Amino acid sequence: MFKKRLPLLLTFIAGMLPIFSFFFRAPALLEDDPTGNGVVQVSDTFEQWMVILAAGALLLGVVNVFQVNLKKISNRGKGWPYAVVFLTALIVTAVFGLWDAFARADITAWYAHAAYQWIVEAGFKPLQATMFSLLAFYVASAAFRAFRVRNVEAGILLAAALLIMLGVNPYVVRALPFLPDLTQWTLNIPNAAAQRGIIIGAALGAASMALRILIGIERSYLGLQKGE
Amino acid sequence: MTDLFQRLMNMDKRWLYLLVGLAAVIPILLPLNLPVNVAQSVQDLYDRVESLPAGSIVLVSFDYGPSTGPENDPMADTFIRHCLARDLKVICIALYPLGGVTEGLEELRRAVGPIDPPNGVLESSSFPGKFYGKDFVYLGYKDGGQATMRQMGENVHTVFPQEYFQAPVTQYELSNQVQGYGDVTFVMSLATGIIGEWWANLVNAQYGTPVAVGCTAVSAPKYFAYYKAGQMFALLPGLKGAAEYEYLVEQQHPRIAEATAADVYNAGKGWDVQSIVYSIITLFIIIGNVGFLVERRQQLRR
Repeated sequence: MFKKRLPLLLTFIAGMLPIFSFFFRAPALLEDDPTGNGVVQVSDTFEQWMVILAAGALLLGVVNVFQVNLKKISNRGKGWPYAVVFLTALIVTAVFGLWDAFARADITAWYAHAAYQWIVEAGFKPLQATMFSLLAFYVASAAFRAFRVRNVEAGILLAAALLIMLGVNPYVVRALPFLPDLTQWTLNIPNAAAQRGIIIGAALGAASMALRILIGIERSYLGLQKGE
Repeated sequence: MTDLFQRLMNMDKRWLYLLVGLAAVIPILLPLNLPVNVAQSVQDLYDRVESLPAGSIVLVSFDYGPSTGPENDPMADTFIRHCLARDLKVICIALYPLGGVTEGLEELRRAVGPIDPPNGVLESSSFPGKFYGKDFVYLGYKDGGQATMRQMGENVHTVFPQEYFQAPVTQYELSNQVQGYGDVTFVMSLATGIIGEWWANLVNAQYGTPVAVGCTAVSAPKYFAYYKAGQMFALLPGLKGAAEYEYLVEQQHPRIAEATAADVYNAGKGWDVQSIVYSIITLFIIIGNVGFLVERRQQLRR
């Protein structure tokens, strides 16, 4: 009962309420009570909880990171010194981030500590920017070495890539003034059509998965096997 | 000729890295001021900002981190400057966990000057007569993504009870005035990854609030589907979009052009770099493929 049915019932209620509230929020239904009806109010409370739960999920992530990396360090797994650096950075950043919150008994003071700001400004930001900047070099190298017309599909991909890159190149556009229009057409028509197909397909998949969870067919999130 | 292609094909990749590195550094130091062709999706944002009546409120969401700063930062700078030059009011938030909060404050300060509300420095040095809390305000970062967006539709003050510098949101005129999406004219999301998409399919779809997105080039193809469907009324696709928007704003507002020119890095300089690097990549793709075809032909002959 507590392992299966109660979580399934809670999931069903928590899932159905926002769906109902979306329709109950119709202006005609709220005319007499502008602050909202019961369903809407409960749903709004759930949404507030969700914001808090999202923050809780971050904590869960930190716990998981600790488990995985501590295990790697204790087993001397591949790249374990990196795990040491990673956990040290995590602990130091968290300590300085939370320092003022505890010192001032004010959880909103998280960003005030100078050392924390220095870690973010002088460490985290340049490192993240560097990681992304390296892509320019790898993309150039990979494009040169691997982007080959080996078959028809690769040929179409190459033609589209060249069209987009040449269509935004100021030197080429000066010589071929019609190219930007062709590039824009490619982005607006064939590209948008394909993207829409992908987006709609993904949305339908997400909706069907949500429905499976709501009605209790999909139970793997409870740690239950098929048929349990 | 065949020998030349073979040598190029077997070239040490460090030469290519050196070429890309030089192409990235030289245009920043010596700007080329390459021309831009303004796309309709960019023109739409410029036209909307130009057409809004003074006092209209715009919500700017910093949904990116330092990794995409070179693309998103110039969009943010130009957009905030453009809004303030047009006497619009700007309320800023951040929804991206990896540095959104730092990007937001940094870019706001770059656009308006070194404000320091806790110490009473509220007036913008770049836009004299514009004040923190009255003409622009920063509410800071909130975790939760879609849940946060959804909750803001009900009540912004419950999601952001304090602004960035920890004063109650009700303390400032602008943040006190904005309680839901109905109080803003449109949302401008400066986005990396998927967050811009959420603004379209959640806030635009459910609340009818117009949404514009300034995205990274790698996300742009996906966002064009939303733009063409009308779920985004404007789109700044990557650094190219940023450069086009910067160009449009500079033509109309010489003071902003002066401020942008004084920036160490701006969209125009970034676009110079990207154009040169694109040219190098395109050239090497062509060389690589010609070499590949020549090699294959030789193999067939043998």
